Amino acid sequence: MTSADVTHRDGPTGAEEPPGPPPVDGPSDDDHDDGREPRWVRPLLVVGAVVALLLLGGAGGLLLGLHNATGDLVAPASDSVDVGFAQDMSTHHQQAVEMATWERDHTTSPELRQLSYDIESTQEAQIGRMQGWLALWGAPAQHSGGYMQWMVGAPAHTHGPTVANNGLAAMPGMATADELRRLRASTGTDMDVLFLQLMLRHHQGGAGMLEYGARYAQIPEVRNLAAQMLSSQTSEAQYMTQLLTERGAQPLPLQ
Amino acid sequence: MPSGKNSKAVRNARKTSVVNTRSTPWGMIAAVLVVVLFAGGLSWFLVAKSNEPSFTPSDRNQDPSSQIAGVQTIKYAGGQHVLPTQQVAYTHSPPLGGAHDGYWAACNGIVYPNPVRQENLVHGLEHGAVWIAYNPDLVNADGVAKLASKVQGQTYIMMAPYPGLDQPISLQSWGHQLKLSDPDDPRIDQFIQALRLNRYQYPEVGASCAALGPGQFDQDNPPPFVPTPPTSDIDNKTVLDENVGNPAAANTDMGGGAGTGTGTGTGGGTGTGSGTGTGQ
Repeated sequence: MTSADVTHRDGPTGAEEPPGPPPVDGPSDDDHDDGREPRWVRPLLVVGAVVALLLLGGAGGLLLGLHNATGDLVAPASDSVDVGFAQDMSTHHQQAVEMATWERDHTTSPELRQLSYDIESTQEAQIGRMQGWLALWGAPAQHSGGYMQWMVGAPAHTHGPTVANNGLAAMPGMATADELRRLRASTGTDMDVLFLQLMLRHHQGGAGMLEYGARYAQIPEVRNLAAQMLSSQTSEAQYMTQLLTERGAQPLPLQ
Repeated sequence: MPSGKNSKAVRNARKTSVVNTRSTPWGMIAAVLVVVLFAGGLSWFLVAKSNEPSFTPSDRNQDPSSQIAGVQTIKYAGGQHVLPTQQVAYTHSPPLGGAHDGYWAACNGIVYPNPVRQENLVHGLEHGAVWIAYNPDLVNADGVAKLASKVQGQTYIMMAPYPGLDQPISLQSWGHQLKLSDPDDPRIDQFIQALRLNRYQYPEVGASCAALGPGQFDQDNPPPFVPTPPTSDIDNKTVLDENVGNPAAANTDMGGGAGTGTGTGTGGGTGTGSGTGTGQ
């Protein structure tokens, strides 16, 4: 049965089958020309097939290009810079939103009310972007365990701290629970100054993470947002330094 | 043995069919032709599609307004603030970026009936809004209504007359300007699509267009327009340079560029560097 199948499917080599009567199969098809097929047919078919293949290949390439132009939608790995940045920067931003919301609701200074509203609304919107990415990537909204493990092995030239393999207990620039309690307990200019000091240190502490994300995230959209945060927070930090100076106060040292 | 008979029969049949294909294989020619036409048509369609301008910003098309004729671009650093009592000696009329008041103008679809202080409007541009300015002497009521219809009910866009404007209409987003004369010009919608909330082009991604009201910026009673002082009036007290307070030192310190636009215009895109994802 198998041999029969093979015989059926083989081409002109059927001639090699020993028991068959030679005269029937003897002449190969190839040179047997009855003159009814014009000479131009085969070259034309070959050329046509080649053109079709080239066009299809080109179209495939164009399709890929169009697809990629809409953005690479491959989800980054759970231990990638992209995921770690989005998770940890969400947490870092949350504390800034908390402090800014408190300041906006309790300050009597018009310019600090405006500044804290700006920080609150901007960072809230940025959290929304990062949390939306994490949801689309199927990644947890927050990382459990030490912070900044995605920055382990950061090159020495970046501003971030050296991160051990199991991460950090707290991110740079974060206010302690005690500092937040003091902010809530203070009033007037004292509160404004403490708010500016804590928020300035918060911005400065986050700069290393922003710089690292802007450089090493895989997804261009993530790198762009990190770079945008870095540049806008840099000028905001200068503004807060100026507001502190106007109030006769000094910035806090970075932990 | 039955297999031998079968193979013989098949061979005979094939012989017949081979003879038939020796005549001009019109079926094959037609099939190849169909494939060629299909592939050609698909290629033509895709080439046409990839060449048609897209005004939607993306990583590969960070400033779609470069495809719009007449758009002027200037790079400004973000975050340079002045006080409500100060003025900025803008070098462009209307201004399209630069130092601005700490209180931004409400920019969520607001149509200001009267000219508004430009230092506040520029802060709205920094938050990603488009400002439609028009010369009230050069645009009739129909034209104003047409422009207003592009603003009302929208977000991150605002409209305010600008006295002395040298063209009937001028569109501004952060670092971008397009002057034109016809409210029906299709470039108006293209400009808005290319630049409103374009996350590669404005400094403060995520910032709000809502105003805080009296004490900060009151959209129902906004500070009135004041003509731009000449740059010769700059005294760094009441009149400031439009690039005031742009500390070059901060650029090197933070390595990201303090909101200074780059060639293709990302506010801080310089920080993205090599960015070959090292998934650690």
